[in-house]
Amino acid sequence: MSKLLKRALKNSLVPAILMIAGKALGIFLVSAKYGFPLELGNDINGFFSTQIYFEDSQVTQFVNSMSDLIMLIVIAVPTLYQIVKTFLFQSSLSNPKTIVKIVKFNMIQWITRDDTTFLQIFVWCAFLWLCTGLIIKNSLEGDTYTWIAYISGSLSLLSGLGALKTFEIEISRVYPDSKKYY
Amino acid sequence: MKNQKLKKFFTLILEPFAFGLLALIFIIPTITVINLEPITKVLKDWNVLGVSDNSKLSINIIGGTHQIFNREKVQQNEEGIYIYTTTLTKRESDRYSKPVLEILNDRDEEIKLEIYGNTALPTHSNISIIINDQVYILQSSNGDVTTQNVLLLPNQKYIVYLVVESFSNVQFSENFELKIREIE
Repeated sequence: MSKLLKRALKNSLVPAILMIAGKALGIFLVSAKYGFPLELGNDINGFFSTQIYFEDSQVTQFVNSMSDLIMLIVIAVPTLYQIVKTFLFQSSLSNPKTIVKIVKFNMIQWITRDDTTFLQIFVWCAFLWLCTGLIIKNSLEGDTYTWIAYISGSLSLLSGLGALKTFEIEISRVYPDSKKYY
Repeated sequence: MKNQKLKKFFTLILEPFAFGLLALIFIIPTITVINLEPITKVLKDWNVLGVSDNSKLSINIIGGTHQIFNREKVQQNEEGIYIYTTTLTKRESDRYSKPVLEILNDRDEEIKLEIYGNTALPTHSNISIIINDQVYILQSSNGDVTTQNVLLLPNQKYIVYLVVESFSNVQFSENFELKIREIE
Protein backbone atom coordinates (compact mmCIF):
# COMPACT_ATOMS: atom_id res chain seq x y z
CA MET A 1 0.00 0.00 0.00
CA SER A 2 1.35 3.44 -0.88
CA LYS A 3 2.49 5.79 1.87
CA LEU A 4 0.11 8.50 0.67
CA LEU A 5 -2.90 6.20 0.98
CA LYS A 6 -1.82 5.03 4.44
CA ARG A 7 -1.43 8.64 5.58
CA ALA A 8 -4.75 9.64 4.03
CA LEU A 9 -6.49 6.80 5.91
CA LYS A 10 -4.75 7.74 9.15
CA ASN A 11 -5.52 11.45 8.78
CA SER A 12 -9.19 11.01 7.89
CA LEU A 13 -10.16 8.90 10.92
CA VAL A 14 -10.14 11.73 13.48
CA PRO A 15 -12.27 14.24 11.48
CA ALA A 16 -14.72 11.44 10.55
CA ILE A 17 -15.21 10.54 14.22
CA LEU A 18 -15.39 14.20 15.25
CA MET A 19 -18.03 14.95 12.59
CA ILE A 20 -20.37 12.23 13.88
CA ALA A 21 -19.60 12.97 17.54
CA GLY A 22 -20.14 16.73 17.03
CA LYS A 23 -23.57 16.20 15.49
CA ALA A 24 -24.73 13.52 17.95
CA LEU A 25 -23.40 15.26 21.05
CA GLY A 26 -24.81 18.55 19.75
CA ILE A 27 -28.32 17.10 19.60
CA PHE A 28 -28.16 15.48 23.03
CA LEU A 29 -26.39 18.39 24.77
CA VAL A 30 -28.75 21.04 23.36
CA SER A 31 -31.86 19.00 24.22
CA ALA A 32 -30.49 18.29 27.71
CA LYS A 33 -29.56 21.94 28.33
CA TYR A 34 -32.95 23.31 27.26
CA GLY A 35 -34.95 20.32 28.53
CA PHE A 36 -36.52 19.38 25.21
CA PRO A 37 -38.15 15.93 25.35
CA LEU A 38 -36.85 13.66 22.61
CA GLU A 39 -37.69 10.16 21.50
CA LEU A 40 -35.72 7.56 19.58
CA GLY A 41 -37.73 5.72 16.95
CA ASN A 42 -37.23 2.76 14.69
CA ASP A 43 -39.21 3.70 11.59
CA ILE A 44 -37.80 2.77 8.22
CA ASN A 45 -36.80 6.13 6.81
CA GLY A 46 -33.79 6.55 4.52
CA PHE A 47 -30.64 4.51 4.94
CA PHE A 48 -30.96 3.79 8.66
CA SER A 49 -33.88 2.73 10.81
CA THR A 50 -33.23 4.90 13.88
CA GLN A 51 -34.58 8.43 14.13
CA ILE A 52 -34.57 11.20 16.73
CA TYR A 53 -37.98 12.82 17.22
CA PHE A 54 -38.97 16.14 18.76
CA GLU A 55 -42.56 17.20 19.31
CA ASP A 56 -42.42 20.76 18.04
CA SER A 57 -41.17 21.81 14.60
CA GLN A 58 -39.48 24.95 15.99
CA VAL A 59 -37.64 22.85 18.58
CA THR A 60 -36.57 20.45 15.82
CA GLN A 61 -35.20 23.35 13.77
CA PHE A 62 -33.41 24.87 16.78
CA VAL A 63 -31.80 21.57 17.84
CA ASN A 64 -30.81 20.73 14.27
CA SER A 65 -29.32 24.20 13.77
CA MET A 66 -27.33 24.14 17.01
CA SER A 67 -26.05 20.61 16.40
CA ASP A 68 -25.03 21.65 12.87
CA LEU A 69 -23.20 24.64 14.36
CA ILE A 70 -21.41 22.44 16.92
CA MET A 71 -20.41 19.98 14.16
CA LEU A 72 -19.12 22.91 12.08
CA ILE A 73 -17.08 24.35 14.98
CA VAL A 74 -15.60 20.93 15.82
CA ILE A 75 -14.35 20.53 12.23
CA ALA A 76 -13.60 24.16 11.31
CA VAL A 77 -11.49 25.16 14.34
CA PRO A 78 -8.78 22.47 13.89
CA THR A 79 -8.78 23.02 10.11
CA LEU A 80 -8.22 26.76 10.42
CA TYR A 81 -5.66 26.22 13.21
CA GLN A 82 -3.64 23.87 10.98
CA ILE A 83 -3.79 26.30 8.05
CA VAL A 84 -2.76 29.31 10.15
CA LYS A 85 -0.01 27.33 11.89
CA THR A 86 1.50 26.09 8.62
CA PHE A 87 1.21 29.52 7.03
CA LEU A 88 2.88 31.27 9.97
CA PHE A 89 5.60 28.63 10.28
CA GLN A 90 6.55 28.86 6.61
CA SER A 91 6.25 32.63 6.60
CA SER A 92 8.51 32.93 9.67
CA LEU A 93 11.25 30.98 7.88
CA SER A 94 11.51 33.55 5.12
CA ASN A 95 10.35 36.71 6.84
CA PRO A 96 11.86 37.89 10.18
CA LYS A 97 9.01 40.38 10.61
CA THR A 98 6.61 37.46 11.06
CA ILE A 99 8.74 36.06 13.91
CA VAL A 100 8.67 39.46 15.63
CA LYS A 101 4.87 39.62 15.28
CA ILE A 102 4.45 36.05 16.54
CA VAL A 103 6.58 36.80 19.61
CA LYS A 104 4.71 40.05 20.15
CA PHE A 105 1.36 38.23 20.22
CA ASN A 106 2.86 35.45 22.40
CA MET A 107 2.03 32.75 19.86
CA ILE A 108 5.46 31.19 19.56
CA GLN A 109 4.49 27.93 21.33
CA TRP A 110 1.67 27.42 18.82
CA ILE A 111 3.97 27.09 15.83
CA THR A 112 7.19 25.57 17.11
CA ARG A 113 6.80 22.31 15.15
CA ASP A 114 6.13 21.77 11.45
CA ASP A 115 4.11 18.57 11.88
CA THR A 116 1.19 19.53 9.64
CA THR A 117 1.27 18.35 6.07
CA PHE A 118 -0.74 19.54 3.09
CA LEU A 119 -2.48 16.13 2.97
CA GLN A 120 -3.68 16.59 6.56
CA ILE A 121 -5.02 20.06 5.77
CA PHE A 122 -6.68 18.81 2.59
CA VAL A 123 -8.42 15.94 4.43
CA TRP A 124 -9.74 18.28 7.14
CA CYS A 125 -10.85 20.75 4.46
CA ALA A 126 -12.69 17.95 2.64
CA PHE A 127 -14.61 17.17 5.84
CA LEU A 128 -15.35 20.88 6.32
CA TRP A 129 -16.73 21.03 2.77
CA LEU A 130 -18.86 17.95 3.50
CA CYS A 131 -20.25 19.61 6.63
CA THR A 132 -20.94 22.79 4.67
CA GLY A 133 -22.75 20.84 1.96
CA LEU A 134 -24.97 19.18 4.57
CA ILE A 135 -25.66 22.47 6.37
CA ILE A 136 -26.56 24.26 3.11
CA LYS A 137 -28.84 21.36 2.14
CA ASN A 138 -30.55 21.57 5.55
CA SER A 139 -30.87 25.33 5.24
CA LEU A 140 -32.48 25.08 1.78
CA GLU A 141 -34.96 22.56 3.18
CA GLY A 142 -35.74 24.92 6.08
CA ASP A 143 -34.32 22.57 8.73
CA THR A 144 -31.42 24.85 9.75
CA TYR A 145 -31.14 28.61 10.24
CA THR A 146 -29.81 30.41 7.17
CA TRP A 147 -27.11 32.33 9.08
CA ILE A 148 -25.41 29.03 9.97
CA ALA A 149 -25.28 28.18 6.25
CA TYR A 150 -23.70 31.59 5.55
CA ILE A 151 -21.09 31.06 8.30
CA SER A 152 -20.27 27.55 7.06
CA GLY A 153 -20.00 28.76 3.46
CA SER A 154 -17.62 31.57 4.48
CA LEU A 155 -15.48 29.22 6.59
CA SER A 156 -15.30 26.72 3.71
CA LEU A 157 -14.24 29.41 1.30
CA LEU A 158 -11.60 30.69 3.74
CA SER A 159 -10.25 27.20 4.42
CA GLY A 160 -10.22 26.44 0.69
CA LEU A 161 -8.11 29.55 0.04
CA GLY A 162 -5.91 28.64 3.01
CA ALA A 163 -5.42 25.11 1.70
CA LEU A 164 -4.48 26.54 -1.71
CA LYS A 165 -1.92 28.83 -0.07
CA THR A 166 -0.48 25.88 1.89
CA PHE A 167 -0.29 23.90 -1.33
CA GLU A 168 1.70 26.74 -2.92
CA ILE A 169 4.07 26.79 0.07
CA GLU A 170 4.49 23.01 -0.09
CA ILE A 171 5.12 23.12 -3.84
CA SER A 172 7.69 25.91 -3.48
CA ARG A 173 9.50 23.74 -0.93
CA VAL A 174 9.70 20.84 -3.41
CA TYR A 175 10.40 23.00 -6.45
CA PRO A 176 12.06 26.19 -5.11
CA ASP A 177 11.91 29.36 -7.15
CA SER A 178 15.00 29.24 -9.41
CA LYS A 179 15.53 33.03 -9.17
CA LYS A 180 16.20 32.68 -5.46
CA TYR A 181 19.24 30.46 -5.91
CA TYR A 182 20.69 31.23 -9.32
CA MET B 1 13.16 -12.52 -3.23
CA LYS B 2 10.07 -14.71 -2.84
CA ASN B 3 8.98 -12.69 0.19
CA GLN B 4 9.30 -9.45 -1.73
CA LYS B 5 7.17 -10.82 -4.57
CA LEU B 6 4.55 -11.98 -2.08
CA LYS B 7 4.55 -8.56 -0.40
CA LYS B 8 4.17 -6.83 -3.75
CA PHE B 9 1.30 -9.15 -4.67
CA PHE B 10 -0.57 -8.45 -1.42
CA THR B 11 0.05 -4.72 -1.78
CA LEU B 12 -1.48 -4.89 -5.24
CA ILE B 13 -4.57 -6.65 -3.86
CA LEU B 14 -4.88 -4.47 -0.75
CA GLU B 15 -4.64 -1.11 -2.49
CA PRO B 16 -8.14 -1.09 -4.08
CA PHE B 17 -9.63 -2.11 -0.73
CA ALA B 18 -7.75 0.73 0.95
CA PHE B 19 -9.21 3.15 -1.60
CA GLY B 20 -12.67 1.77 -0.85
CA LEU B 21 -12.03 2.15 2.86
CA LEU B 22 -10.93 5.76 2.35
CA ALA B 23 -14.12 6.47 0.40
CA LEU B 24 -16.17 4.83 3.18
CA ILE B 25 -14.51 7.03 5.81
CA PHE B 26 -16.00 10.00 3.96
CA ILE B 27 -19.36 8.41 3.07
CA ILE B 28 -20.28 6.88 6.46
CA PRO B 29 -20.09 10.14 8.49
CA THR B 30 -22.10 11.94 5.80
CA ILE B 31 -24.90 9.35 5.83
CA THR B 32 -24.81 9.16 9.64
CA VAL B 33 -25.11 12.94 10.00
CA ILE B 34 -28.04 12.98 7.52
CA ASN B 35 -29.70 10.22 9.52
CA LEU B 36 -29.11 12.04 12.82
CA GLU B 37 -31.17 15.02 11.68
CA PRO B 38 -34.13 15.21 14.07
CA ILE B 39 -37.71 14.82 12.85
CA THR B 40 -40.89 16.42 14.19
CA LYS B 41 -43.38 13.90 15.51
CA VAL B 42 -46.00 13.82 18.26
CA LEU B 43 -44.32 12.02 21.15
CA LYS B 44 -46.03 9.38 23.23
CA ASP B 45 -47.10 10.73 26.60
CA TRP B 46 -46.50 8.02 29.18
CA ASN B 47 -47.43 8.32 32.85
CA VAL B 48 -45.55 6.65 35.73
CA LEU B 49 -47.27 3.32 35.15
CA GLY B 50 -46.22 3.34 31.51
CA VAL B 51 -49.75 3.97 30.30
CA SER B 52 -50.61 6.69 27.84
CA ASP B 53 -53.49 8.77 29.16
CA ASN B 54 -53.71 11.64 26.69
CA SER B 55 -56.71 11.61 24.44
CA LYS B 56 -56.16 13.69 21.37
CA LEU B 57 -55.86 13.74 17.63
CA SER B 58 -52.35 13.14 16.36
CA ILE B 59 -51.09 13.28 12.79
CA ASN B 60 -47.65 11.88 12.09
CA ILE B 61 -45.59 11.52 8.96
CA ILE B 62 -44.88 7.99 7.78
CA GLY B 63 -41.71 8.92 5.91
CA GLY B 64 -39.60 6.53 3.87
CA THR B 65 -38.12 7.08 0.45
CA HIS B 66 -40.03 7.41 -2.81
CA GLN B 67 -39.00 8.33 -6.34
CA ILE B 68 -41.80 10.89 -6.81
CA PHE B 69 -42.70 12.10 -3.28
CA ASN B 70 -39.66 13.90 -1.85
CA ARG B 71 -38.86 16.17 1.12
CA GLU B 72 -41.99 15.31 3.10
CA LYS B 73 -42.74 17.38 6.16
CA VAL B 74 -45.68 17.80 8.52
CA GLN B 75 -46.14 20.57 11.03
CA GLN B 76 -48.94 22.18 13.02
CA ASN B 77 -49.40 25.95 12.81
CA GLU B 78 -50.64 28.33 15.53
CA GLU B 79 -54.27 27.82 14.45
CA GLY B 80 -53.93 24.07 15.02
CA ILE B 81 -54.01 23.23 11.30
CA TYR B 82 -51.73 20.38 10.28
CA ILE B 83 -49.81 21.21 7.11
CA TYR B 84 -48.21 18.38 5.14
CA THR B 85 -45.84 19.42 2.35
CA THR B 86 -43.98 17.39 -0.24
CA THR B 87 -42.17 17.96 -3.51
CA LEU B 88 -43.56 16.00 -6.43
CA THR B 89 -40.63 15.39 -8.76
CA LYS B 90 -40.82 15.31 -12.55
CA ARG B 91 -42.47 12.12 -13.72
CA GLU B 92 -43.79 10.11 -16.63
CA SER B 93 -47.54 9.79 -17.18
CA ASP B 94 -48.67 7.18 -14.68
CA ARG B 95 -50.38 6.71 -11.32
CA TYR B 96 -48.19 7.02 -8.21
CA SER B 97 -49.17 6.50 -4.60
CA LYS B 98 -47.50 6.44 -1.20
CA PRO B 99 -48.64 6.15 2.42
CA VAL B 100 -47.85 9.63 3.76
CA LEU B 101 -49.64 10.22 7.06
CA GLU B 102 -50.83 8.29 10.07
CA ILE B 103 -53.87 9.83 11.78
CA LEU B 104 -54.71 8.64 15.25
CA ASN B 105 -57.99 9.50 16.97
CA ASP B 106 -57.26 8.75 20.64
CA ARG B 107 -60.54 10.28 21.82
CA ASP B 108 -63.66 8.42 22.83
CA GLU B 109 -65.68 10.44 20.35
CA GLU B 110 -65.75 10.92 16.59
CA ILE B 111 -63.60 13.61 15.01
CA LYS B 112 -64.51 15.40 11.81
CA LEU B 113 -61.65 16.64 9.66
CA GLU B 114 -61.62 19.11 6.80
CA ILE B 115 -58.93 18.21 4.28
CA TYR B 116 -57.84 20.27 1.30
CA GLY B 117 -54.67 20.25 -0.74
CA ASN B 118 -53.25 21.52 -3.98
CA THR B 119 -50.10 22.28 -5.94
CA ALA B 120 -48.97 25.85 -6.55
CA LEU B 121 -49.43 25.42 -10.32
CA PRO B 122 -51.93 23.14 -12.08
CA THR B 123 -50.01 20.37 -13.87
CA HIS B 124 -52.86 18.38 -15.43
CA SER B 125 -52.56 15.78 -12.68
CA ASN B 126 -55.31 14.33 -10.55
CA ILE B 127 -54.32 14.44 -6.89
CA SER B 128 -56.32 12.52 -4.31
CA ILE B 129 -55.98 10.78 -0.96
CA ILE B 130 -57.15 7.32 0.05
CA ILE B 131 -58.31 6.62 3.60
CA ASN B 132 -59.71 3.15 4.38
CA ASP B 133 -60.10 2.36 0.64
CA GLN B 134 -62.21 5.50 0.20
CA VAL B 135 -60.90 7.93 -2.46
CA TYR B 136 -61.13 11.68 -1.76
CA ILE B 137 -60.27 13.87 -4.77
CA LEU B 138 -58.33 17.00 -3.79
CA GLN B 139 -57.28 18.50 -7.10
CA SER B 140 -58.58 17.60 -10.55
CA SER B 141 -56.53 17.75 -13.75
CA ASN B 142 -57.95 21.19 -14.66
CA GLY B 143 -56.74 22.60 -11.32
CA ASP B 144 -60.07 22.64 -9.43
CA VAL B 145 -59.57 22.10 -5.70
CA THR B 146 -62.16 20.25 -3.63
CA THR B 147 -62.40 20.38 0.15
CA GLN B 148 -63.16 16.99 1.67
CA ASN B 149 -64.66 16.11 5.05
CA VAL B 150 -63.56 12.90 6.73
CA LEU B 151 -65.09 11.33 9.82
CA LEU B 152 -62.72 9.51 12.18
CA LEU B 153 -64.19 6.89 14.48
CA PRO B 154 -63.14 6.90 18.16
CA ASN B 155 -59.87 5.17 19.07
CA GLN B 156 -59.03 4.36 15.48
CA LYS B 157 -55.81 4.68 13.48
CA TYR B 158 -55.94 5.65 9.80
CA ILE B 159 -53.27 5.56 7.11
CA VAL B 160 -53.54 8.29 4.48
CA TYR B 161 -52.27 7.48 0.98
CA LEU B 162 -51.44 10.30 -1.40
CA VAL B 163 -52.19 9.49 -5.04
CA VAL B 164 -50.96 11.44 -8.05
CA GLU B 165 -52.20 10.52 -11.52
CA SER B 166 -50.63 12.28 -14.50
CA PHE B 167 -51.96 11.85 -18.02
CA SER B 168 -48.92 13.39 -19.67
CA ASN B 169 -45.24 13.57 -18.70
CA VAL B 170 -44.48 16.28 -16.12
CA GLN B 171 -41.06 17.81 -16.78
CA PHE B 172 -40.60 19.85 -13.58
CA SER B 173 -40.91 19.45 -9.82
CA GLU B 174 -43.81 21.03 -7.95
CA ASN B 175 -44.66 21.63 -4.31
CA PHE B 176 -47.81 20.08 -2.93
CA GLU B 177 -49.46 21.25 0.30
CA LEU B 178 -52.14 19.39 2.22
CA LYS B 179 -54.01 21.10 5.05
CA ILE B 180 -55.91 19.15 7.69
CA ARG B 181 -58.18 21.03 10.09
CA GLU B 182 -60.36 19.66 12.85
CA ILE B 183 -63.96 20.83 12.62
CA GLU B 184 -65.55 21.57 16.01
